[in-house]
Amino acid sequence: MSSLLIERPLPHGGRLVERVIEDKRVARKIWKSCNAVYEIKPTLHYETGVPVRNVYREIMSICYGFFSPVEGSMKQAEVERVLKERRLLNEWIFPYPLIFDISKDDLNKLGVEVGDRLGLTLKGKPFAILDIEEIYEIDPEELAYKTFGDPETNPEVVQQKFDKKHPGWVIYRSHQPYVLAGKYTIINPPKLKPPFDRFWFPPRKSREEFEKRGWRTVINHQTRNVPHVGHEFLMKCAAFTGDVEPCHGILVNAVIGVKRRGDYPDEAIVEAHEAVNKYGYIKPERHLVSIVLWDMRYGNPLESLLHGIIRQNMGCTHHMFGRDHAAVGEYYDKFATQILWTKGIPSFGFPAPPTDVPYGLKIRPQNMREFSYCPTCKEMAYSETCGHKREKLSGSFLRGMVAEGVQPPSIIMRPEVYKVVVKWWKHFGYPFCNEKYVINKEKELEVDLEDL
Amino acid sequence: MAYFMVVLLDDSRMEKIKGTGLEEHIKYMFGGELRLLEVEVSEDLKNKILAEFETARVDSRGAITDVPVAFMRELFNQVVEKKSLGPEVVEGVLAKIGEIKEMAAKESEYLPPPEIEV
Ligand SMILES: [Zn+2]
Repeated sequence: MSSLLIERPLPHGGRLVERVIEDKRVARKIWKSCNAVYEIKPTLHYETGVPVRNVYREIMSICYGFFSPVEGSMKQAEVERVLKERRLLNEWIFPYPLIFDISKDDLNKLGVEVGDRLGLTLKGKPFAILDIEEIYEIDPEELAYKTFGDPETNPEVVQQKFDKKHPGWVIYRSHQPYVLAGKYTIINPPKLKPPFDRFWFPPRKSREEFEKRGWRTVINHQTRNVPHVGHEFLMKCAAFTGDVEPCHGILVNAVIGVKRRGDYPDEAIVEAHEAVNKYGYIKPERHLVSIVLWDMRYGNPLESLLHGIIRQNMGCTHHMFGRDHAAVGEYYDKFATQILWTKGIPSFGFPAPPTDVPYGLKIRPQNMREFSYCPTCKEMAYSETCGHKREKLSGSFLRGMVAEGVQPPSIIMRPEVYKVVVKWWKHFGYPFCNEKYVINKEKELEVDLEDL
Repeated sequence: MAYFMVVLLDDSRMEKIKGTGLEEHIKYMFGGELRLLEVEVSEDLKNKILAEFETARVDSRGAITDVPVAFMRELFNQVVEKKSLGPEVVEGVLAKIGEIKEMAAKESEYLPPPEIEV
């Protein structure tokens, strides 16, 4: 065996967190032991009242191990350490505070204290429990600023003070002021609704799937978009990295959560990526589409760190990062993510890249630029390779074409991908997320629950 | 500066312009895969479009963009009807401005899907 072979990494923190009780008898007993019950509510925008987050997605991602080694809602000391050094109290690196926040009114109504067990219902059905270890107060505005950094404290990559135009800042600003800290346990596993159910590969299952497919090396592609041919080439070509041979697998992991108007619907995103393998543009033996539940914080380098953690937990060896990774606006340097993974960002607690600090990550970054069509090469060409003038495709040009009902040429968007877009367009009456979609999605969520 | 608007042509639109005599004016991008026509817009009509639609803008090549989808769809209809790429096409579109504005107002909630098998 070559000493150059890269092995599948252990989960972040050394072992997978799994806090899901499948046995209903056990679950019923636990449910009976709750001191109080609370129906999970969406987090509403602090000014407009529009839903911006649902903590159920965090509970799912924590309990199924996507966020290992995080086990619950963080204590005050842990939040402070995450904000200062981007580390948990057990030393492992982690980018964001994750907390269970409630209003003063709700806290008074519940009457819970430290040591109590809080039952959490979702859509009126028992869902999870929270064993309360600490109750404390936060200042949501201060939390929002500290989470993302600012130009004075983080001059390496932060270019602009955060404000309410940033959707991640709004999520933290809209948190309620009281926090119940402690471990979560899911006692009634929700069922993912179609089409999401067939893309549900929590870390244990994805690792088993990689094993079954003989995938030792797997490169992840982060997505929140339907794939155009540029994305397809990014995936195909980034997969040539690996060790002594190209990566065995390409994992597409779509972030499913609160949508912004103008995004493609999540249903179209996952099925459009699936069309890439179903119709052979990348063999299904080499390509797997999956999801993670998370309301994007758009923290560019910080978000990339979370993405690295999620995908290492899922068993990936490599992760593609592009320019403006998980970014919105110009709050961060365009290359902030690539700076983090190649040099580190000292002010965020990384004097070296996250792979080169103690209690860091094992997943390898593959920093990529973009692909566009070159009429001279007559192919999709890599920006750092082709020396000709290429025909760049702007996102807004393509969206305009789609909105007009004009089928993009297959060198821009595969016809099968376009068909998926139209399928969901017919379903929702709109090719992108409109206000109705955004509101309905947060009402209906991606899951259904049975009685316990 | 000469102004123009781009009409994209997919297979179904190609069918509709067959025999209009406009085929010889087709321009190509992406290795011939993206076909388009350019409709002439006078200074006067450009100003009218910018005044009527606040999202509309003129890019560095003189192309008028970011008008409502309803405008773009009618632009193609007028090309077919007038069998022309001259200023009378945009004039024809602007003659239906009331209808277009009504549809544009609903565009943030509803857009008619293309009639293709899925
Ligand atoms: Zn070239």
